[in-house]
Amino acid sequence: MDRTASLRRRRWSLIATLLVFVLVGTCSSAGLGASASTGSKLSGSIVFLERWPEPQYAPFWKKIVADYLALHPNVRIDHQAIADQPYKDKIRVLTAAGQLPDIYFSWAGDFANKFVRAGLAADLTPYMRNTPWGNSLAPAAVDAWTHGGKIYGVPISVDAKVFLYNTKIFANNGLQVPKTIDALITTCDTLRSKGIEPIAFGNKDGWAAIHYMTSLNPKYVPRATLDKDFEPSTGEFTDPGYVAALNEFSMINKHCLTQGANGIDYTVAQAELMQGKAAMYYGQTVEFKTFTRAGGAPASFANNWDFFPMPPVPNGRGDQNLLTGAPDGFMINAKSKHIDIAVDLLKFITDRQNAEAFTKTLGRLSSVAGTATSANAFPQLIKALRVINSASGMNIWLDTILHIDIANAYLNGLEAMLNGTKTPDQIMQDVRAAAAKVRANP
Amino acid sequence: MAVRSAVPESHGELAGAHPTPLVVLASLGRMAMLTCLVLVIVYPLVWMCLAGFKSTAELFGDPWGLPGALRIENYVTAWNQGVVRYLFNSAFVTTASIFGVVLLGAWAAYGLTRLHLPFATPVLFFILGGMMLAPAVALIPLFRLLQALGIYDTYFALIVPYVAFRLPFITFLIRAYVVTLPMELEDAAVVDGASRWQIFWNVIVPLSRPILISAALLQALFAWNEFPFALVFINNDNLKTLPVGLLDMQGRLITDWPVLLAALTMASVPMILLFIVGQRQFIRGLAEGYGK
Amino acid sequence: MSVIAKRVRALSGWLYVLPALILVAVFVYYPVVENFRLSTFQWNAFSTHPRYVGLGNYAGLMADPVFWRAIFNNIAYAIVSVIWQVGFGLVLAAILEETVRARLRAFLRTVYFIPVTISITVTGLLFQFLYHPQFGLVNRVLVILGHPQWTHSWLGEEATAIWAIIGMSQWQSVGYVMVLLTVAMQKIPREFYEAAYIDGTTKVQAFFLITVPLLREMTTLMMILTISGAFLVFNEVKVMTDGGPNNASQVLGTWLYRSAFQNDQMGYASAIATVIFILTFGAGVAQLWGVRGKQVEF
Repeated sequence: MDRTASLRRRRWSLIATLLVFVLVGTCSSAGLGASASTGSKLSGSIVFLERWPEPQYAPFWKKIVADYLALHPNVRIDHQAIADQPYKDKIRVLTAAGQLPDIYFSWAGDFANKFVRAGLAADLTPYMRNTPWGNSLAPAAVDAWTHGGKIYGVPISVDAKVFLYNTKIFANNGLQVPKTIDALITTCDTLRSKGIEPIAFGNKDGWAAIHYMTSLNPKYVPRATLDKDFEPSTGEFTDPGYVAALNEFSMINKHCLTQGANGIDYTVAQAELMQGKAAMYYGQTVEFKTFTRAGGAPASFANNWDFFPMPPVPNGRGDQNLLTGAPDGFMINAKSKHIDIAVDLLKFITDRQNAEAFTKTLGRLSSVAGTATSANAFPQLIKALRVINSASGMNIWLDTILHIDIANAYLNGLEAMLNGTKTPDQIMQDVRAAAAKVRANP
Repeated sequence: MAVRSAVPESHGELAGAHPTPLVVLASLGRMAMLTCLVLVIVYPLVWMCLAGFKSTAELFGDPWGLPGALRIENYVTAWNQGVVRYLFNSAFVTTASIFGVVLLGAWAAYGLTRLHLPFATPVLFFILGGMMLAPAVALIPLFRLLQALGIYDTYFALIVPYVAFRLPFITFLIRAYVVTLPMELEDAAVVDGASRWQIFWNVIVPLSRPILISAALLQALFAWNEFPFALVFINNDNLKTLPVGLLDMQGRLITDWPVLLAALTMASVPMILLFIVGQRQFIRGLAEGYGK
Repeated sequence: MSVIAKRVRALSGWLYVLPALILVAVFVYYPVVENFRLSTFQWNAFSTHPRYVGLGNYAGLMADPVFWRAIFNNIAYAIVSVIWQVGFGLVLAAILEETVRARLRAFLRTVYFIPVTISITVTGLLFQFLYHPQFGLVNRVLVILGHPQWTHSWLGEEATAIWAIIGMSQWQSVGYVMVLLTVAMQKIPREFYEAAYIDGTTKVQAFFLITVPLLREMTTLMMILTISGAFLVFNEVKVMTDGGPNNASQVLGTWLYRSAFQNDQMGYASAIATVIFILTFGAGVAQLWGVRGKQVEF
């Protein structure tokens, strides 16, 4: 019968389509790299996860991987990239799935130490302590990746948080670089009275406010107390300096910062600075490139900005010479089957040539000493390197150095404070409560 | 049933009364509300499309005006950033899960209603009971299960759960329809010597076409928008479906809003066009499926 | 047929049901049971040894202000969705059916349904622009209408964040229930309406006397679907605010995800999942009870 025949045909085409689906489904590609032929003895396959998928950075990393593969024909690299904001979720999903890559990006501090405690970070001390490779990297940067006397990560870039400012606006209004925090607030008042937004601020992702606290806490709290409080097993946060630091931030917010910042993305704050609507912006040296002509900034701004670190607090009980900033880096999965390849790739990424290209292309300071010169770096970046090298130490971002629960207490508390729904005392109460829980359950 | 004719503006005419001012006001108010609704829906979408043609500076400076020059490169960049791949992955996973759930649901509905199997009722309730279990609940155990089965981070990691979680509802839908089918055609086929397989494909399936279409459409809507499973079960960028891929793009393109908006437009246009073209079929499929 | 052949025939009938049965048992039922087991431990992605804590996670939930905030947000979602999607959807469907010409009706229905076809992520990201405190359309319109004091940082303020998200969700779904109800409405025989109008009943009266009662079953089904959907919300919140600011816009789904994949507390997340299960189970029972045994017809 025609009807049966056509139905049968339809049924078989249905089954055929299903088969096609099954076949396509089992072929999910993952982009492995192939290579040419030279004489390298390394062989195997590794997964390399970095944090820069943005269109302006991705080509650099693709090239480095391609260059490495050309030198090591028997190596295969599965190169993946996840952006900054989703990275924290995704790395945990990967870890829980047992799919932690051989090389993975990490922030220094408790964020990295979690992996160390879980036995997921390879001990790199034999490769990096007192070796030519280790000695080529900035000591402060390597120091941030040391835990319990052992080195667990390879720093790849150094970074610092500073106030960028529009030199023209300052000149036009007779303003000098403020030498103390109180002077900063007075500068803000002057700018406000002239109808200029003093400091552009966007806290949608939450870390912008925490970076302020990263800088303010050490000005009011002695270094030794801070170090004790950062350790999950001994953190108490009872020093009155913490509340004083929050009060200072509250003052800065009132006099200087863009209001309603919880709904504003930091890129909008950057744009406000570039368009001359705001006079200052508290940013990281890794953002510097955005403010140059090469990075897309308007000419009216690109040639007219400079920076200064967070000014000291006279009578502050903490160390006023610490600079906020942390080296980004990579860790190696302790369970990796090819630690040798992983180490070799990281060595390659941090060799002089690639480090200089890193600074030139990405506009970031490499952790490799002496790689930022006028040949590959713009003036503000070179000045930044000087400032970093002359700091007595670095404050690592509060949200990565603290245990996640304590970091959350700060993050949420600061968001609330910006909305006017929490006071500094209340925030510290939450922080102390979180710290108590963390002490009880390390 | 009376044939539906064009409805006169005011039924007052049928009753022989003149349209009162109140009636006129009411109908103006209605028109205003309907028009408002159209504007509220259409304006943001048109804006999204036009914003994709602007430069970042234009977007910040004059967000709600028309673009100056038409920057097609934004759309090109969005294309290169992988919108098409995400669209394909979503389409693939959705279509595969439609086939899966409709096939398995139809089989189960047929088996449990027409084959007089023992324990059919308890089994039916077991399957239907699955309707009460929400996907989010299963996120973590499924996460571990998929790894154990070795299908984590593959297309199957999504297709299988999408089918499994919608089977209860789809089976329910198809079964409700199949029980109303007259037995005569089946009886005739049995007399002709047809096997159960043949009866299924040659009698039940053609007769159930309306409900199968409805089921397919409802599954499409679910799978196309499914997010938590897609977020956790797939890491490989080449396999990401649209919801997750777009969110990733937002992470990558934080400084490039026009490109993101271009990507959003490109992600929406296919479905909108598909719907406009197929809307009559869609409504008819729903209508025939929901009331027999 | 011999006895064996009959037995084989009966068993082979099960082949039709087996695939569905296995899939549902393994991928739907097993995870729920396993989920409850996992919720009695404290563990995360980095745990070397999971720690048994019995009902400790549940005690933690009861004491957790964010958990209660999430439930409040889900309930708010449910109430608004029912009023707008089912309530207004019903009214909108009736208005289109009774007072609008056929061609305009088809056009309007299509337009109203278009947002439903768009991916929720797209709408979420689009509305981030609309709600932007400086460039957003919402604030722009308020200023143009002469009420700049009503402008807000819609997604950045604790008081407005969840409502802004709920609003976006209603924009997206206005057409969905409306179309489903339209389809049901078209099944109502015209004679009912013709008879009523001849008797002098107004359209509004006809709506309440004829349409609403006859659609009761369908409306109840829609209500239950909308409510259980409201407790499963994840996409919109994750994309627009990720539960912030200060956890003000968390819903159960996003709080579950954050506990598992940001706060390193998977056992706790499993406890949240169990709560969601209990809530949606209740809605599902109501759904099955409401349409028990009946075919979906009028």
